[in-house]
Amino acid sequence: MNGQRIMVIDDENIVGKMLKAVLEQDGYNVETFLGGAPALARLQEERFDVVITDLKMKGIDGMEILLKVKKEWPETKVIMITAFAGLDAAVEALRGKVDDFFPKPVKIKDLKACIERLLSTP
Amino acid sequence: MKIVHKINLANISVIILIALTGFFAFENLNHVLTKLRFTEIADDLNASFLEMRLSEKNYFLYRDTSALAEISKKIGESMMTLESVKPDIIKATGEKNFEGLKSCLTRYLTEVDAVRDSAAQTVEMQAGVREAGQKLREFSDQITHLERSRVNEILSFSKRQLFSSLCFILIAAIGLRYMTFFKILKTLKQIKRVVVSISEGNFRPVETEIPDDELGSVMTAINAMSKELEDREEQILQSKKLASLGILTAGVAHELGNPLNNISMIAQTYMEVYDSLSKEDRIDFMVKIEEESHRIKHIVDNLLDFSRPKKSKSKIADLNDVVLRSLKLVQNMIHVCNVETSINLQEGLPPVFIDEDQILEVLINLMTNSLQASSRGDSLKIITRLLEGDEYIEITVEDTGKGIPHELLAHVFDPFFTTKGNSGTGLGLFVSYGIIKNHQGVMKVDSTEGVGTCFTIELPAYKANTEEEA
Ligand SMILES: Nc1ncnc2c1ncn2[C@@H]1O[C@H](COP(=O)(O)OP(=O)(O)OP(=O)(O)O)[C@@H](O)[C@H]1O
Ligand SMILES: [Mg+2]
Repeated sequence: MNGQRIMVIDDENIVGKMLKAVLEQDGYNVETFLGGAPALARLQEERFDVVITDLKMKGIDGMEILLKVKKEWPETKVIMITAFAGLDAAVEALRGKVDDFFPKPVKIKDLKACIERLLSTP
Repeated sequence: MKIVHKINLANISVIILIALTGFFAFENLNHVLTKLRFTEIADDLNASFLEMRLSEKNYFLYRDTSALAEISKKIGESMMTLESVKPDIIKATGEKNFEGLKSCLTRYLTEVDAVRDSAAQTVEMQAGVREAGQKLREFSDQITHLERSRVNEILSFSKRQLFSSLCFILIAAIGLRYMTFFKILKTLKQIKRVVVSISEGNFRPVETEIPDDELGSVMTAINAMSKELEDREEQILQSKKLASLGILTAGVAHELGNPLNNISMIAQTYMEVYDSLSKEDRIDFMVKIEEESHRIKHIVDNLLDFSRPKKSKSKIADLNDVVLRSLKLVQNMIHVCNVETSINLQEGLPPVFIDEDQILEVLINLMTNSLQASSRGDSLKIITRLLEGDEYIEITVEDTGKGIPHELLAHVFDPFFTTKGNSGTGLGLFVSYGIIKNHQGVMKVDSTEGVGTCFTIELPAYKANTEEEA
């Protein structure tokens, strides 16, 4: 866990702030973005190990980010945060593509465990 | 009376007028014809009278007694002609003239016969003949002349009569038609007004008295239709309400989802990183939770607004005052946005029966939206006016902001519809719409992308005796 890079994308300011606080305490290197566009621009510059993104956002949404990341940088893990787990047809479409997803409200302990698991399996 | 009957009546009156005029003209013509017949006869008679006088002259010049016999014969003939055309003459000039003519002739005959029969043939007798002859000529000349002038009189009278009847018929025909059509047009106009108002969604029945004709049945039918439409609309509204309840619940779930997630995450993070937090950091965390709770409260408040029992605090108020109050409240924002505001409030508006705070909220919502859609240098116009019919007062809030794309226009009143991301709840217009609806009013929007947006509110004017139930 020394300096692995995590990107958090969510149009809710709080989500980024909180995840950054928790994950940085665990030694990750965290960057947060409020929208898909600047996040993708940043991804062009630098590799990230994990991308955590909200599904529903204005403009470029989580789905678009997932597809782009998996196509360009397949080794980057993607975790999706969704409003209604299981209800959304889009969630079905995510199965198999996304590395994991979390319904709101997000359990931070589970999320942390998930990141750990994803990063330890090569 | 039915319209068909009215038109028939008008037509029949005109036909009767024409027939009457024709009849009088015919009568006059008949009259003229009898007179002319008489003058013809009179001309014949005058000719033989002239011959008689010629024979008389011969007698006096040559003392030729055979001339006297000639006169007697001619008088006899004329007498016979006179008798044979007696009815014609009486008809033309009357019995008196006929008798007069006859007695002149008889007298002439007696005088001539007297001269013929007497051997002496005195000067007095001769003078008698001459005088009687002259009298006969004069008398017949006189009546012929008189009748001729009468013919002229009758003809010119007929001419005048025909002309004035023609004028009268024309005026009557036009007048009757105008009266009938004027009434029809008036009713049609009324019907048009009702139909237009129905097409605008006001299902108010026609209030004026309904005429007892075909248009009356049309109006009755329209009234029935608008009642039916009103019932249907209520049903549609009911199902729409259910639909919007669906949108609402989904929206509430989604809208509340975010702040709830935030609170949950703040709390979890707080526990996770508690040890490394300074006192200020901990307070900051709690402030954040407080903020998110406020966000939830805002959404819930708006929803409550929507479902709040209507008109809890309604009272009689002046709309212009409310407009001015709302302007004062957004004054600061107007200043910051640098938008030019103009107001045009019609004076002497009738009062309205409203919950002032709610209407204030609507106006502030509209103005806030306008200001948010405007940029530096745009303008905002607020107008109040009394609508035709004096029943509704209209408020328009018009801006020259960025406008609403055509495909979104239908959704602006939907709950949670917003283009402002997390800074808007999308409840402003939804709630406003509900408030106006609860006030028996109407709210409409018109917008062109890139040009501007105009929201229109119509509120019923307060009528002292009818609004008591509220
Ligand atoms: N005057 C306007 N000009 C352009 N767009 C408008 C105007 N008024 C409303 N809209 C559009 O309609 C949407 C819904 O408006 P509404 O007031 O219901 O919600 P909101 O303004 O987004 O949120 P809130 O009222 O809670 O701040 C707005 O997001 C905006 O896109
Ligand atoms: Mg608004």
